[in-house]
Amino acid sequence: MATGSIRRGRFGALPWIGPAVVLILVMVVWPAIEMIRTSLHEIDQTGIAKGWNGISNYRTLIHNPDLPQTLVRTLIWVSVVVSLTVLISLPVAQILHGKFPGRKVVRYSIIIPWAASVVMTATIWRWILDGFYGILNRILQDVGVLKDPIDWLGNPNSAFVFLMVVAIFVSVPFTTYVILAGLTTVPEDILEASSIDGANGWKRYKEITFPLLRSALLVSAVINLINVFNSFPIIWAMTGGGPGYSTDTTTTLAYKISFRDQDIGQSAAMATVNFAIILIFISIFLKVSKWRETSE
Amino acid sequence: MKKSTRRVAFSASLVLAATGVVGISLPVAHAATVNLTMVAADYPGDGKTQQAQWDGLSKAFAAANPGITMTVNVVSWDVIDDKVKTLIATGKTPDIVNKGDYSAPAAAGLLYKASEMVSASTLADIVPTFLNNSMYNGTAYAVPDLASARALFYNKDILKKAGVTKLPTTYDELITVLSKIKAKNPGVYGYAVPMGPEEAQAEFAIWAGGNGGRMYDYTAKKWTINSPANIGAMTFLKKLNDLKYIEPNPAKCDRTACAQTLFAAGKAAFINGSVFLPAWLKANGGAGINLGSGAFVHGPGQEAVTLGVQDYFTAYKANGHQAEIQKFMDFLYQPANYADFLTAAGGFIPATKSAGAVAAKDPALAPFIALLPKAIFYPGDIATFPAVKGALQTSVGLAITGNPTKVLGDIQKKALAAK
Repeated sequence: MATGSIRRGRFGALPWIGPAVVLILVMVVWPAIEMIRTSLHEIDQTGIAKGWNGISNYRTLIHNPDLPQTLVRTLIWVSVVVSLTVLISLPVAQILHGKFPGRKVVRYSIIIPWAASVVMTATIWRWILDGFYGILNRILQDVGVLKDPIDWLGNPNSAFVFLMVVAIFVSVPFTTYVILAGLTTVPEDILEASSIDGANGWKRYKEITFPLLRSALLVSAVINLINVFNSFPIIWAMTGGGPGYSTDTTTTLAYKISFRDQDIGQSAAMATVNFAIILIFISIFLKVSKWRETSE
Repeated sequence: MKKSTRRVAFSASLVLAATGVVGISLPVAHAATVNLTMVAADYPGDGKTQQAQWDGLSKAFAAANPGITMTVNVVSWDVIDDKVKTLIATGKTPDIVNKGDYSAPAAAGLLYKASEMVSASTLADIVPTFLNNSMYNGTAYAVPDLASARALFYNKDILKKAGVTKLPTTYDELITVLSKIKAKNPGVYGYAVPMGPEEAQAEFAIWAGGNGGRMYDYTAKKWTINSPANIGAMTFLKKLNDLKYIEPNPAKCDRTACAQTLFAAGKAAFINGSVFLPAWLKANGGAGINLGSGAFVHGPGQEAVTLGVQDYFTAYKANGHQAEIQKFMDFLYQPANYADFLTAAGGFIPATKSAGAVAAKDPALAPFIALLPKAIFYPGDIATFPAVKGALQTSVGLAITGNPTKVLGDIQKKALAAK
């Protein structure tokens, strides 16, 4: 009888969490398992599995000559894009939080880069930066800054800088809105009290607003970490990771290994490593931010 | 059990659909419809996609063959390889594929033989040279759909302005001609060299071939991407790049969006073009280009070559539709239908003797057909060719701006490691 009531209790919860559990199992857990399984298989170039292969795919991956520089580039990519995104979003959110005429219009217009398809945004940027027909060259030449046009995406360094610019451009709206949501939770009365106590604007922000934004910052940073690390369309639409492998991150490298080098097994190994990297990234990040919380 | 229930359910729904439309009940006898699927690359044609031509053909085929339906999915060239690979890897193998290579699935045993794909009479109509390029281990596993040859195309007006009266034939002559062009035509690139991912393997094969180099050595059964001849050809291109006779960043310059577009805008004097280039120019804003064509240049002591490229129909065994596939392929190769296919594709060289006889009278095609017997082809019959092609597409362009020996050496390493 007792077990029966417990079972009824379990079934009682299941309809509530059931859909979510199924969704996670089908959309997250199963693909992840399938990916890891693939990375341990020998897959021929047509895409047919030939059986278990141990860690051989990982061994090939470690000896891939393009891996080391791609890993370093990925690290730069994630850290620069995420930190600059947050740094830019903080003042933008502050401005949007203030009251001024036309605030609604400005708030909506900030959403546009976020609402537009990333592939579309990236493609537009690719043509803005084009060496033959790009509008950026046109403007710079017309105002006399440049004499000859520059192929911005043809040079690995300038290409990578512009990829990061576009990544920041599409990440700022979301981050701004999360921080903006955080700002609305900062109690007005505390701010009022502090100004009566003689705190100026900057001091109020530093001592009260910013500390209270911690959870919003944490959420936006973690989501950006994941998004930016996995970002495929910006790089693929703008440079294809090229010239050569010079603007690849581990995400686009995985694709190239699969569809150019025709090695699905190694590509799955790369994807699994990516999965591990992002898990490590996030756990380090969460640990660091929690440690800060307790130390204060 | 499961399968039969599903089939019953399927037939039932068919009957429901049929009665719904026609208003009377039909017998279930024809319910066992075979639906053939095909994935086809999209040839440039006149700027329109080939989907309409394939849909029309599928409809006509289904009407002539009750019990078989045909669905053709037309995909652009830059994603067709990825698409087919994904379909196979996820167990959704199409029955027929129309694209540029066949060796990997042939080696994996996934394909019907050419003799199983088409009837003996259709097979007998295929041009032998093309069928010979469709072999794996001595057996044809693909049926050629059409072919193209490459030639040196040039802008007559630019050459005239530079005072060039004779086409260059050697490396040295080319350098002289390009220096004249650069002096007299500011803002014009002498040679458009598309070494971007889209078709870098073709550009590489042409320049390497003109220097006596090949991708693969059939005697030694070995890839030879970094042979001295190939390195020499890339070193020559590097020289053109250093002299600024070619467009900047050739490793990023794709054939269509970059090289052909520059040529169509009158911003490039020379281009290694395919037989379909004149038609493409007309449809893409280059109708006013005063177009000339001739043979490629060659390295010291070498001969001019052309690159022949042919594409293929392959049929996969996965769904067991051999009889239906053969019916469709024979239908496609009927002269009238095949002529429609060629027209939609736009300006290519036919793969059948019957259509070839017609094409030989076409003044635009005849010179290219004459070139074909001496053409070099990709080593498409080597199982690892797709991987080598991919490696070339990704990085061979960097040989022109970087270190040719190192870049080709790295690709060679990948080629030898491919399996």
